[in-house]
Amino acid sequence: MSLDCGVFHTRYEADMGLRPRPLQRLRLGILALFVLVFPFVASPYWLDLANQVAIATVGAIGLNILVGYTGQISLGQGAFMAIGAYTAGLLTLNFGVPWGASVFAACLVTAAAGTFFGLPSLRLKGLYLAIATLAAQEIVEWGMTNWTAVTGGTEAIVLPAPVLFGVRMNTNFNFYWLAVLTAAGTALFAANLMRSRIGRAFEAVRDQDIAASVIGVDVFRTKLLAFATSSFFVGLAGAMIAFHRNIITWERFTLSTSIVFLAMIIVGGLGSIRGSFLGAALITLLPAMITNVGRAIQDTAPQAASLLPYAQQAVFGIVIILFLIFEPRGLSKLWENAKDYFHVWPFAYRRGESRAG
Amino acid sequence: MSNTTRMVALGGVMLVGAGCGGGGADLDDHSIKVGAIFDLTGPTADVGTDYGDGVRGFADWVNSRGGIEGRPIDLIYQDYGYQVDRAEQLYTQFVGEGAVIFMGWGTGDTEALRLRIAEDEIPFSSASLSHRLGDPAEAPYNFLLATTYSDQFRIALQWIAENHGGGTPIVALMHNASPFGLSPARQGGVEFAEARGIDLTLYEMPRGAVDFTAEFARIRQSGAQYVVFQNTSGPAAVALTNARSLGLDVTFFCLNWCSNAQVIQLAGDAAEGLMGTMPYAPLSVDVPGTRVIREYLESKGESVEGKTNAYTQGWWTFAAFAEGMRRVLAAGGELTGASIKAALETFADYDLGGVTAPVTFTPTDHRGSKGLRIFRVEEGTWAPFTDFVEAPGW
Repeated sequence: MSLDCGVFHTRYEADMGLRPRPLQRLRLGILALFVLVFPFVASPYWLDLANQVAIATVGAIGLNILVGYTGQISLGQGAFMAIGAYTAGLLTLNFGVPWGASVFAACLVTAAAGTFFGLPSLRLKGLYLAIATLAAQEIVEWGMTNWTAVTGGTEAIVLPAPVLFGVRMNTNFNFYWLAVLTAAGTALFAANLMRSRIGRAFEAVRDQDIAASVIGVDVFRTKLLAFATSSFFVGLAGAMIAFHRNIITWERFTLSTSIVFLAMIIVGGLGSIRGSFLGAALITLLPAMITNVGRAIQDTAPQAASLLPYAQQAVFGIVIILFLIFEPRGLSKLWENAKDYFHVWPFAYRRGESRAG
Repeated sequence: MSNTTRMVALGGVMLVGAGCGGGGADLDDHSIKVGAIFDLTGPTADVGTDYGDGVRGFADWVNSRGGIEGRPIDLIYQDYGYQVDRAEQLYTQFVGEGAVIFMGWGTGDTEALRLRIAEDEIPFSSASLSHRLGDPAEAPYNFLLATTYSDQFRIALQWIAENHGGGTPIVALMHNASPFGLSPARQGGVEFAEARGIDLTLYEMPRGAVDFTAEFARIRQSGAQYVVFQNTSGPAAVALTNARSLGLDVTFFCLNWCSNAQVIQLAGDAAEGLMGTMPYAPLSVDVPGTRVIREYLESKGESVEGKTNAYTQGWWTFAAFAEGMRRVLAAGGELTGASIKAALETFADYDLGGVTAPVTFTPTDHRGSKGLRIFRVEEGTWAPFTDFVEAPGW
């Protein structure tokens, strides 16, 4: 954590805190209050979206650990989510494993699969590694659709509803609490992980792997650990999807899923937990917003509205390009900028003015 | 632009989007809300666009004639780009806004929504004709308005068995790499072929492939005399042109989603002689059900030639559901999912203007029509080749 100007800690505990300043705690409190009140006032539609955002957040944090923090590009997100979803689903369906246990097992299996597909990272970097993970995506996709005996092939798999203390958990309202808790837990774990020795090793490998190995980081082991940790959460996201919808279809875990998740962390901010959430929220809500705009103008400007579906694809690309040009560090950095601005408001420092003055 | 301005601008965009979330204009409760998703931009947009136009056309036509029992249809629809997530979002949104029935589209999203449809009690039609979706034990609120893929496939196989000269007929099923592609074979096709002594082999058509030479090399080696496509018109047309240039001498069959005008447009001469199991008649066939569409299109000043049989299918699928709702209202009932379902289950040989075989629904069978006409491409247009053929059992 960086040292903040004007903040003095008198105890080590305060120094170690994730959110040491009162204003940060206030913001966290407001957010918590919002999260608590939201499901009681939101329509089923917004609850459904919130659940999708929460699941996407878990997946995006997972991917960010690998791509943003450790610098290993992965196009295999969809594959790893599929492994999570199918493992959790099939364990419960075929072996009657309680859904909680099968979700955990799914995380472990995905972590193992992630480690396996991370092996090429010993020799491969950047684009080459991206292609290797693309291969993982293709292999798993092929396996999902063709290994009929296990996955049921291209047919959808219907799961029993997850039940907790006699309550069905996959209604939008009940699932919301599970999803939010899981997302918050994942965020907390990841935030703390990044402050640990392992997290620092991840960043060292990302920034300069040779320098990292000089200072005693076992680069290959660290990369594999990043693959495992990342896949663990990605598998968790996949398992959550399986139990949220109670039905698994392979069409949810294609290469385009991998791309969408990469877009989330790029738009949100590489190497940022907050960014993972913001990116997941934006990319999930963006199509919904475009739809809503389309419907709002359907009567007044039918021509424009009929073009909007086609514009949607372009908007997706344009958003990414704009972020890469204007704010490569994503929504997370925009948020920081806003905080910095209000921090010294109304005495903002403006570039150029001091020179002119 | 300073960082702050950028942030504020972005925040503004997000707020505008969020603010519109409540949905479109206010509508009186008098109208009947119907939710729909269309694929206008995704991989099946080639047929999805016409299907969507057909659904919209029917709603417009009914409303211009005073609605269903005096109540106008309020069709809420959006493109979903064949994405399962988007379909779920839109379904939740539209049902939340009071849609009493839902017009779905693809196999993937219909399968994914199957459980929720049953829970929400929303009568659901999908353009996916997967056999399983017509079984009320598995999907109580799904209704199929056309011959299922497996019925279509068996009709084709039966025709082959009956018209094949001597020896074992060898059939290749070239299918889309998806549940949609496999469903004709999975649900009775393989068993039926075995029972009739037909040698059947499946060949996957990879997504986005622009060349099927390798598949055809294997097909030629197998000595197949018949090739059946279960795919949309784009890939089927590519394959037809491929086969023509390879000089492959076989009879081609198209199931539902490639027996349409597009395949002729795309494949040109190579489509000549192509057979099609076409549950819905194209507009060029003169029956009452196509006449009403032609009149509507002409009154709107739209061209009839540009519309494929997907337009007929969209129109008449919705029309059947509208008839179900009309029966509920005519009996003085309340429009709920359960009442519409019950009304649909009273359909006995209900005639959809002759565009497809008459439709019958029962509480134990939601596969509406079990017969169709086989069409054949003759001089660049689809012409009826047989009369209505009942799908054989297996």
